[in-house]
Amino acid sequence: MADMAIFAETSMSRPTARMRPGLRLSDIATYILLFAGAAVMLLPFAWMVSTSLKTTGATFVTPPQLLPDPATLDNYAKVFDSAPVAQFLLNSIFVSVTSTALMVLFCAMSGYAFARIAFKGRTVLFYAYLATLMIPQQVTLTPLFIIMNFLGWTNTYQALILPSSFGAFGTFLLRQFFMRLPREIEEAAFMDGAGYIRIFFTIAIHLARPALATLGVFAFMASWNSFLWPLIITTDQSMMTLPLGLSALQGRWTTDWNVLMAGTVIGTLPIIALYVFAQKYIIRGLSHTGLK
Amino acid sequence: MLRRTFTGLLLATALVSPVLAEDVTIKYMTFSAAPNYLKELDATIAAFETEHPGVKVTYETAAWDAYFTKLQTVVAARQAPDAFELNYENFVTYAEKGALLDLGPLVTADTGFDVGVYNPTALAAFSEAGRQYGLVESFSNVVLFYNKDLFDAAGVAYPKANWTWKEELEAAQKLTDAGKGVWGDFAPIQFWEFYKTIAQNGGAIFNAEKTEVTIDSARNIETLTWMVDKVNRYKVTPSDAEMAGQSSEDLFKAGKIAMLRTGIWLLGDFTENAPFNWDIALEPGNTQKAHHFFANGVAVSANSAHPREAYEWVKFLTSSKAAVDLRIAAGWELPAVSDPAAVQGYLDQPVPESREVVFQALDTAIVPPVIGNWNQLTDAVGKELEAAKLGLKTPEQALKDAKTAIEALM
Amino acid sequence: MSPAADRSKYLALAVLLLPSLIGMLAFLMLPVLSSLVLSFSEWDLIGEVTWVGIDNYVTALSDPAVLGALRNTLTFILGYLPAVVAIALGLALLLNRRIKGRVVFRAIYFVPVVTSWVAVSLIWKWLLNPQYGLVNFALGAVGIKGPGWLFDPNWAMTGIVLTSVWKDVGFVAVIYLAGLQDIPEPLYEAAALDGATPWQRFWSITFPMLAPTTFFVTTISLISSFQVFDQVWIMTQGGPAGATSVMIELIYKNAFSYFRMGYASAISWILFALIFAVTIAQNLLQKRLDRSDG
Repeated sequence: MADMAIFAETSMSRPTARMRPGLRLSDIATYILLFAGAAVMLLPFAWMVSTSLKTTGATFVTPPQLLPDPATLDNYAKVFDSAPVAQFLLNSIFVSVTSTALMVLFCAMSGYAFARIAFKGRTVLFYAYLATLMIPQQVTLTPLFIIMNFLGWTNTYQALILPSSFGAFGTFLLRQFFMRLPREIEEAAFMDGAGYIRIFFTIAIHLARPALATLGVFAFMASWNSFLWPLIITTDQSMMTLPLGLSALQGRWTTDWNVLMAGTVIGTLPIIALYVFAQKYIIRGLSHTGLK
Repeated sequence: MLRRTFTGLLLATALVSPVLAEDVTIKYMTFSAAPNYLKELDATIAAFETEHPGVKVTYETAAWDAYFTKLQTVVAARQAPDAFELNYENFVTYAEKGALLDLGPLVTADTGFDVGVYNPTALAAFSEAGRQYGLVESFSNVVLFYNKDLFDAAGVAYPKANWTWKEELEAAQKLTDAGKGVWGDFAPIQFWEFYKTIAQNGGAIFNAEKTEVTIDSARNIETLTWMVDKVNRYKVTPSDAEMAGQSSEDLFKAGKIAMLRTGIWLLGDFTENAPFNWDIALEPGNTQKAHHFFANGVAVSANSAHPREAYEWVKFLTSSKAAVDLRIAAGWELPAVSDPAAVQGYLDQPVPESREVVFQALDTAIVPPVIGNWNQLTDAVGKELEAAKLGLKTPEQALKDAKTAIEALM
Repeated sequence: MSPAADRSKYLALAVLLLPSLIGMLAFLMLPVLSSLVLSFSEWDLIGEVTWVGIDNYVTALSDPAVLGALRNTLTFILGYLPAVVAIALGLALLLNRRIKGRVVFRAIYFVPVVTSWVAVSLIWKWLLNPQYGLVNFALGAVGIKGPGWLFDPNWAMTGIVLTSVWKDVGFVAVIYLAGLQDIPEPLYEAAALDGATPWQRFWSITFPMLAPTTFFVTTISLISSFQVFDQVWIMTQGGPAGATSVMIELIYKNAFSYFRMGYASAISWILFALIFAVTIAQNLLQKRLDRSDG
């Protein structure tokens, strides 16, 4: 396992020396199953986009219409008319990008410290980190708000950003990654007189790139989709994030499903785009972050 | 304790100071303004600020579902806005828990002002134990909406004020057309509909003193049976599965429901979006008539640093001509003012024809039977009603279980 | 260790660990601690906090609502966990075959994982719509009359489980894929020489060799499924007739609808104890298994 090559390429794309020419029966069965499964995975998304392009009349029909007829962009226009969606989008991007960057940095540093530096109380502290994962947000929200208020930070970007810049999940993920990382390279650097800090910033963090990307996507996702905290901490519409702003689309008495779906598409596309972009790293990262 | 003394001191200072303090900002929080009436709220604030130089109003809005989660958190952190909107049911909870300022002394000191401008019943709803903890902002009720075109097509006479459940059912049976997916009648089976419907049959959840739970009385069992039978026995009302995620309001707009009991807050929506002839009527009762009465009020926080300015804003928002006119023009609920001239603009609007029904319904209005643990009560009873609706329990069993659940809350 | 090395170690801790520690303390651990304190008190969020000792815990442990929510949560876990693990394992085995296009397939199966619960729940609420939804339409096409799903107390939880499995299966499959890569190829070659069928190879090599991965995925899935909430809140709000009322939903209602923050905190800590106990039990089991292996 102390083989560096494993980090250079995903083991799933190993040279396919053993692949035989021609399709076997079992390969055909595999394809059929995978295609069927892929359809099950993608059809709901196709339906979401399709509904967002439908008129209300075309939504409530049997059998369900997969292709919108007539197709219309009205629902998107309504979303943008209902509120300053562009402002929400900007806020969401700023908050999510900043908190993701901070989260990745803080978690990488602390994960490395937990994995490599022996210190008194390390286990206890690590368990204290983990405990925060097991208490539901619903009861920590009010104390957190009181803390923010004490700091005078209500309705500020730092209050939106900082609570999602720290997390036990990321620290745990990266600690596992660093623990599985072979020590040889670092030991060579130690011999040359480098300390933990230099080794972390010059070697470890680069080796951890796939794991960082994985955490990055999960952190971005969590921040991007966060609803309850922005609801409580923002007071101005100008500070609202996208999920909060779009929540107004679901009315108290009636719901326009098509408009709601258009809003959902607007909220979902950026995250899927990011995933497609970072996909290669995520799968690689997840495959090697000490999942045992 | 210290907090109350402090507030008292502030209040005393406010009362003796002859003019309003300069450059005060009042924070206001609302659920009813967003997203449709922000323009009207802005205009009301502008009018208020012109009249009260030096006082500024800023506001926060939240959608109904999220509003109270947010309000509770800011109240918990002692950061409540100076003034905030409360529906009647939540008002009782907040008043009982001491979160609201008694406006009585401010009203008394306000020599140029007469509370006679408010509808007395509506204003009284926002007093608790002899203290005026809020001013009434608007009221609404529920009436019977009906699709005239469907009635004409089925050759059924329009609902009349003297209709009872019997006539309603007969009409509904004629109007229901399963082939076309048209349902004759709709009333939801949930807590709010239930406490009103039992009143239409002479029943109630509690005795008059609210010391005894009477929810499982024979009359109430009869009422719940009637509500459930419309779905399961007579099949004139769609079940949840048959509605398939559409609200009854959406189905009405699509011409799929002939008679719908719903709130007057939908008048504007239906006027704009229901492409057929429709009107409203009083709800049929069984042994007597009963109509919902809902009200929103605006209260001042017990912790407000500017109670006097906050009071001025609350007063302006609820009773000034500027605010009332803006509301009526926009259809932003119905201001609870007593002057008939003020609401004439509301009656004058052409659709629906019988707008006066909204005011006639007030003669038989009943308020929600609020107790301290209100949200727990509505959830507990709602769950039992749902069980009866789904046929999991008989109406009798459901109401017996509801009684046990309510008694545990008292 | 030399004093210099010590100094360097503490400097490293200060630079690498301290920022995270400060943030964790201020924004996560302090609120968590507050909730622990609150769990021993009564607080309606408006008035003062009153100390009530262990009253909340005593009440909670005999509260039919808590027991009902716990039962529903366990029902969810019983439906969700075996399904997501079994399907993900099957998927991983398929994706591990050396066929063309598996990178694309892998990507597709992961898309629901990155999509928000709000979007997923709204979409599935529609797919499961008894009248207009694709699911019942598809069932109807093969001659099955679909149930009322979220509107039927007997089927609502199945609907929630189905949605959750759909969303998470890609995540678990990717972890299994990683596990599969670590199984030494010679094992299979030896088995092939002995004439073992693929089925025998799976049960005698793949499945036992994947045991650590299985432990890992069951542990993290168990922790997260105890906290199932978002999909329930959006799809059924705990209904119909309480059929999908789960622990976190009960906690949310108590905290923000019933003005019982103390009680909500106590239920949270009971849930914490449950999750913690299960995690420890899992770990012990794994250690025993590791020992018997080695």
